[in-house]
Amino acid sequence: MRTHQVLKGFSHIWKVRSCGFSARPQSSSPWQPVPVAAALYSQTPQHYVRWQSTAAAAEAIAPEEADQNPNPDNQGITMKGVSMAGRPLYLDMQATSPVDPRVLDAMLPYYMHQFGNPHSRTHLYGWESDRAVEKAREQIAELIGADPKEIIFTSGATESNNISLKGVMHFYKEKKRHAITTQTEHKCVLDSCRHLQQEGFEVTYLPVKKDGLVDLDQLKAAIRPDTGIVSVMTVNNEIGVIQPIAEIGEICRKHRVFLHTDAAQAVGKIPINVDEMKVDLMSLSGHKIYGPKGIGALYMRRRPRVRVEPQMSGGGQERGIRSGTVPAPLAVGMGAACEIALSEMSNDEKYIKSLQERLYKGIMSQLDGVEVNGSVEHRYAGNLNLSFAYVEGESLLMGLKEVAVSSGSACTSASLEPSYVLRALGVEEDMAHTSIRFGIGRFTTEAEIDKAIELTVDQVQKLRKMSPLWEMVQEGIDLKSIQWSQH
Amino acid sequence: MQHIWGKGVLLHSSNLQTLFRIKRQMRKKRWITVTFVDKDGDEKIIKVPIGMSMLEAAHKNDVELEGACEGSLACSTCHVIVMDDDYYEKLPEPIDEENDMLDLAFGLTETSRLGCQVIAKPELDGIRLALPAATRNFAVDGHVPKPH
Repeated sequence: MRTHQVLKGFSHIWKVRSCGFSARPQSSSPWQPVPVAAALYSQTPQHYVRWQSTAAAAEAIAPEEADQNPNPDNQGITMKGVSMAGRPLYLDMQATSPVDPRVLDAMLPYYMHQFGNPHSRTHLYGWESDRAVEKAREQIAELIGADPKEIIFTSGATESNNISLKGVMHFYKEKKRHAITTQTEHKCVLDSCRHLQQEGFEVTYLPVKKDGLVDLDQLKAAIRPDTGIVSVMTVNNEIGVIQPIAEIGEICRKHRVFLHTDAAQAVGKIPINVDEMKVDLMSLSGHKIYGPKGIGALYMRRRPRVRVEPQMSGGGQERGIRSGTVPAPLAVGMGAACEIALSEMSNDEKYIKSLQERLYKGIMSQLDGVEVNGSVEHRYAGNLNLSFAYVEGESLLMGLKEVAVSSGSACTSASLEPSYVLRALGVEEDMAHTSIRFGIGRFTTEAEIDKAIELTVDQVQKLRKMSPLWEMVQEGIDLKSIQWSQH
Repeated sequence: MQHIWGKGVLLHSSNLQTLFRIKRQMRKKRWITVTFVDKDGDEKIIKVPIGMSMLEAAHKNDVELEGACEGSLACSTCHVIVMDDDYYEKLPEPIDEENDMLDLAFGLTETSRLGCQVIAKPELDGIRLALPAATRNFAVDGHVPKPH
């Protein structure tokens, strides 16, 4: 069959990529895969086109240029008025991660010929999709130490957070009118809490200590008899701090309050066990662990049972909690990503820790006035959030256009306000503006880290040379003693 | 042969003790009063013999409680809401399978149970059960499936 021929021809290319992070293509490598569409509709691949994974990126090099110029590497890329030598180094793993080729391999059959709806009960297409979805459920459950019946597929961690907070509070609204969360939560948790406040519930937003961790005594003091849920994220997406979820779970069990944790950044990266952490609800995300975008999961404890009011009404799929066709290929992808994460967790941890140390030492040895935001001990290694003193944040980001990093989190980078997470840590506004979040992942290479160090140090030194504040500090003037004149 | 009258029935046995024991048992209440409240607030008071499930009793008394799977814990259509918390406490904990089916029920509350799993016992005398507005087998045209 033609499809099989094409997929066979395709798979040998994926084999090159599948040997792990050492095969990560550098921006100058000639490795270019055949686009699926072109391969499908032609007997033999016509020509190799530089295949970018986004339509927007494809605009950067017009197709005619690629035909005339067999080696488009000399061109460089210009986009939005910014020109760079090539595609930037990707160091923003907290925003999203590339799909692991093994995950894509697992997903493709469910797009191509095993495309049935998992809820079709009457024919083979439905049965095989259903079997694949159930297998994915088991893979996810194994990663977090849960039972497969406790996993519900959603469209992402945002939806899981919405179902957890609004669903639990609405279900128990007669008796429970109070919710507790922290000031450093993800926007979707904070927005759900604000929505609950609009409806008449009371919400306590706990402050965090200087290192980003929750104060357990403050949490104990905040719990009331009518508290329905406590929501604390396991690993913070901006500063990478790991919260003491096991201790929080202990406190919540004693007071018989549900504990929800947003584990989107933690699953598959640090070991998680829902029974040891005494967690009642947990949100998981697919695209943070080298899985596809558009899928997530919600863990809901069965004993003692947690009940929620569904946010999606429909045919009662996913135990009535999330109606709608479960996207079988995405679910399979997330399951495969979880299984891979479980087997590679210790290896990834070692590798990422070594890269983080390399990055940290590289920058600290060449610059001073650099501060790490968030606790250094209770931290996930793949997230390094640094603030550079006496440097203007926006100009630093503009200068670092060949390194894809972020300042603040992806969801708040559009606004001009500095990150509320850094504000909650007590970081001063000027330092908050210059914070850069470096995200290291399974596919990051040492060469990328070294280049990132070089570019960052270069840019910071350049900006500091231009900065009058830096001059004054070098001369020994205490900036806080200056009376700035009003104009 | 000894004879004794018990509840309008002539009991006879060679053993007098057996006769008195049976008369004592017959004097104990063999049924309880249950009130079903439907979605419009109309109440129906029925007598349910001890040991019968609420679903069966509802069918026998023409109460509109659908039981699509006939009491085999495979659906959520006999979902009832126990109106008083103290009666809810008197019921035994639902097993996992009942909880799984309850998760799918329409209009679930904290004191919901499946009618086929609530068995009448003397402590539940006077229990009030509310019928939810609809079931998972929803028919927006108002069609009510006949009990089967």
